[in-house]
Amino acid sequence: MRPAVFLRDRLPRYLILAVASALVLIFLFTFHVPAECVVIVSVLALIGAVITELWEFFRRRSFYDKLSSDLEQLDRKYLLPEMLEEPEFLDGRILCTAVQEADKSMHEQISAAHRENSDFREYIEMWVHEIKLPVAGLQLMCHNDGNTRYAEQLRRIDEYIENVLFYARSGSAEKDYIIKPVTLKRVFSDIAVRNREELQERCISLRTEGLDTEVLTDAKWLSFILGQLMNNSIKYEADEIAVTAEVLPDRTVLHFRDNGIGIPAADLPNIFEKSFTGENGRTHGGSTGMGLFIVKKLCGRLGHAVSAASVQGEYTDISVTFGKNELYKPE
Amino acid sequence: MKILIIEDDSALRSELSVLLKNAGYDPVCAEMTEIPAQMINSGADLILLDINLPGTNGETLLQDFRKRSTTPVIMLTSRTSELDEVLSMSYGADDFVTKPYNPTILLLRISAVLKRSAKTGTAQTYHDAEVSTVRGSLTRGGNEQILTKNEMIIFQLLLDRIGEIVTRDELMTALWDNDEFVNDNALSVNISRLRAKLGELGFPDAIVTRKKQGYVLI
Repeated sequence: MRPAVFLRDRLPRYLILAVASALVLIFLFTFHVPAECVVIVSVLALIGAVITELWEFFRRRSFYDKLSSDLEQLDRKYLLPEMLEEPEFLDGRILCTAVQEADKSMHEQISAAHRENSDFREYIEMWVHEIKLPVAGLQLMCHNDGNTRYAEQLRRIDEYIENVLFYARSGSAEKDYIIKPVTLKRVFSDIAVRNREELQERCISLRTEGLDTEVLTDAKWLSFILGQLMNNSIKYEADEIAVTAEVLPDRTVLHFRDNGIGIPAADLPNIFEKSFTGENGRTHGGSTGMGLFIVKKLCGRLGHAVSAASVQGEYTDISVTFGKNELYKPE
Repeated sequence: MKILIIEDDSALRSELSVLLKNAGYDPVCAEMTEIPAQMINSGADLILLDINLPGTNGETLLQDFRKRSTTPVIMLTSRTSELDEVLSMSYGADDFVTKPYNPTILLLRISAVLKRSAKTGTAQTYHDAEVSTVRGSLTRGGNEQILTKNEMIIFQLLLDRIGEIVTRDELMTALWDNDEFVNDNALSVNISRLRAKLGELGFPDAIVTRKKQGYVLI
């Protein structure tokens, strides 16, 4: 709080005081009070007023300056009420009470929303597990009846179900993953087997290199991530998918490269954004813009970096970088 | 081979049982009461255990069961969670399969677990030829034929089900499950090479093609 601001704020009060003092002086002069007396009274009154104003100024300044600097330093500004110290002056106390009440009410609101959100998430998780039973049942029925017609549709249903599950997981604050050493080969061949029929139908060849290496991740989450990348490669007309791992001293980089239609340079910076479908989405359809968004979020939560490189009409290369941080390692 | 199915979803249970029966196993479905006693007394060679069961939990069941028996157990679950898998494996599960499962893969897993638990120290044989998976070879009377990894996977699967039809789909799944991402042509080439090698050993017509069905090793 700068003195000038304070003085300007008090200006109406000074004007009223000045008018009142002028009236008092006129009054004193009309009653022929001796000039010495008038001077002494005026000086005393002035000293009193200055002291009062200085006191007012300093106690307010100490409160409001702390408030402003706290606010500036906090990266989560809503925590301000926790830092408030109640001042002695009345309007400050009223302010504090009001802020704290508002804060309390906001907390209640937020925790209600949190509860609702986590209830919903729990329900989604439960629903996913339930819906998988009939899907599994149908899959077995198809197999037992020797009917392969529905298998592909069932696989698609399962894929969409997984998307919902992992979307719910990607946004949750709970830690429902386990980081442990996982062999890339194990995860990748699981995905490959799951997509075998479609890959063979479209004559897509797979090439792998260096996947015998271990990375620190959650196998189920990584499996979902690689599954999404494989779906994209299939969707965008690849006929060769090359998956290679590159082991560097401080990290392992997994390249998932296909020779499909590629991504236009203008779209490339946005492919990990929510609901972004871009030119390929328009020309190919069936794109929700969620796949890579979820991939990015999951990678973020697991601490992996994900990036894309592509030349339209030539290739798309999505790379996932796994850290080798010792902190990650379980004992 | 007797397999005990512990699954509360009745549709899944009966389909699983059909699947296993078609694959030549002897499936038994457990009642949803007194499961631990059934696990002990069934005399099954393998147990398929669901994790989500009414009023109980497959992981707890497994933990108690492992104190009394070493019968192989494959956990089935619709929960795609690493935590469940890690827990199950630490409680002594032999494998962990998530629903919905590819039926062919499930069968492969079952036969792999059964084979592991059989622990037959004796070498496998095909007629009078000796099969060595370690060396990746077939030997008959001093004549040794080295098989490639793919040929060995194919031969093993045919040998495990000798006299039965093995579909191309099953062979393909087995190869892919072993990180050999071959295509249709490569499978045909592998089969004809395997035939040639078996021919060298004096079994020229060992692998019979059944049109539109698959292959039979005789």
